[in-house]
Amino acid sequence: MASEEESEASPQDQKQQNPVAENGDGLFSPRFKSVAAMAGWDEEAILVAALVVEDTPDRLCKNKKRTGLQFKTPPSNSRRKRRAQRRSPVSIPIVVLDLDEEQNAKGESEQTKVNVKNVENEEKRTEEEKKTAGDELKIEENSGVSCSNSVLPCIDKLREELSCAICLEICYEPSTTTCGHSFCKKCLRSAADKCGKRCPKCRQLISNGRSCTINTVLWNTIQLLFPQEVEGRKAGGALNNPEENEHRSPARGNQYNVRTRSSRPSLASSSSQTSSTRRRGNPSQDEDAEHRILGRGINNNVESRSVRPASVLHRDGTMRRRGRPSQDEVSATALRLERENLARLLGRDGSVRRWRITSNEDDDEDEDAVLALRLQREEFMDAFRENPDQSNRTSLSSARSNLRAMASRAINIRTRRHPI
Amino acid sequence: MNSSIGVGGMPAASWVSTTSLSASGKRIQREMVELNSDPPPDCSAGPKGDNLYSWVSTIIGPSGTPYEGGIFFLDIIFPSDYPFKPPKVIFKTRIYHCNVDSAGNVWLDILKDSWSPALTITKVLLAIRSMFTNPHTYSPIALDIAHMYLADRAKHDELAAEWTLRFAK
Repeated sequence: MASEEESEASPQDQKQQNPVAENGDGLFSPRFKSVAAMAGWDEEAILVAALVVEDTPDRLCKNKKRTGLQFKTPPSNSRRKRRAQRRSPVSIPIVVLDLDEEQNAKGESEQTKVNVKNVENEEKRTEEEKKTAGDELKIEENSGVSCSNSVLPCIDKLREELSCAICLEICYEPSTTTCGHSFCKKCLRSAADKCGKRCPKCRQLISNGRSCTINTVLWNTIQLLFPQEVEGRKAGGALNNPEENEHRSPARGNQYNVRTRSSRPSLASSSSQTSSTRRRGNPSQDEDAEHRILGRGINNNVESRSVRPASVLHRDGTMRRRGRPSQDEVSATALRLERENLARLLGRDGSVRRWRITSNEDDDEDEDAVLALRLQREEFMDAFRENPDQSNRTSLSSARSNLRAMASRAINIRTRRHPI
Repeated sequence: MNSSIGVGGMPAASWVSTTSLSASGKRIQREMVELNSDPPPDCSAGPKGDNLYSWVSTIIGPSGTPYEGGIFFLDIIFPSDYPFKPPKVIFKTRIYHCNVDSAGNVWLDILKDSWSPALTITKVLLAIRSMFTNPHTYSPIALDIAHMYLADRAKHDELAAEWTLRFAK
């Protein structure tokens, strides 16, 4: 695979990397480069990083090259990148390199050229990723391929392991027997009813098929791993049951319903869950309703958990909003006070005050109280400010006049003693 | 895959019912998919026609037995409350075997009392195939054949091979 890529990449690379060639090729072996390219690091980025680290005068060359290559990149590409970067700069893996968008876009185009064989797939994938995540770089792309390859067989095995031996589907609300085998709760119950109280897998006696409880760990795991199957199963249950058809439309509608209902507080749903589990003595009529409630309860919990941060944020927002106006108000009053003082100094204070009062007439009581306080403060400050001002002025002027008188007296004396 | 052509001669599309299925139907459909993707050795099975509950199956006589080379056709009929009740398996090809009665009914413990909902048609077919190599002489339905098997194995094998040649080839 690596050698293949290398041989494929080399001619394209040389064409692209001509300006880099004189300083770049000495630093990295082509093998390292190809490996880096496979890992999603475009060689240029690595090179730049190395240059930045070494801090050699080669950086000038880098800049030159970058401007030279600018014209090769399609403008739409760079815009997309820029948008992606703006959206979440933190999640971009090579932030350290301090790349700007031309370089990123250039790297991308270069990479697409490198993988000539997979151009179409790559493009498609990039488009998809732009749509979904918006900020993923080719590192994610490349690693995603290997990841999916390694995950898929694992998922198949998990599916095998987590499927119920009775219905052969993914266990829905799994119940574990005393001998350690898990089946859908419903399947196990009907097996116990119709085939005797023995484990379907190992034929060991099950103490009581009726008292089977859901293996929560397993059930949560299944819900995490196979959400689609679980949803499908829920929808299927709704389809089979005519009562539930009234409330639910199949498939997606079901999900929507659950979502909308999730606005209920999760506490209530959890309590209903416990009550329903306690009510287990009733035969299979209750079962479906129970299932639904249980499912909804779990969903509710999940939903509310996901909603909670939002509400916190909201609360934060209001708090901030509440906090900010107070500050604003203080500064505003200070400004107003100053302006008023100025106006009063100019002898227009009465009119200003009247204007302010009329403007605030339609506000509520809080505002009135604030206004009253402000006015009081104004008066106090006026009183406080006016007096020292006047006294200062008088003292200053008197001092000045005294000084002047003293000076003139001294001059007079001097001229008298030593006439010019 | 081979079952669709070799056994029923029915097109594969007729297997898949478009209407919504009951739990048993779903389970049978799932088994069908599994059987097609990973069929047991020398066995094949699939619905006869549109009816998901009525299958036809073939088992090729395993080598090293008197049934070697014979192709045995079986009917499999699923009850409506499958998998909680066992399917009915009937040999359509005549066979000289102590666990198969003259009407072709298979008398296996797992198809009667020892049935478990965790068993699948794949496992049933494998059990029948192993029955070819090791007849359950302790619980026979055809007593004379069982006696023959225990008393004169060579004669039994000879007769079985003869029947195979006559009916299953």
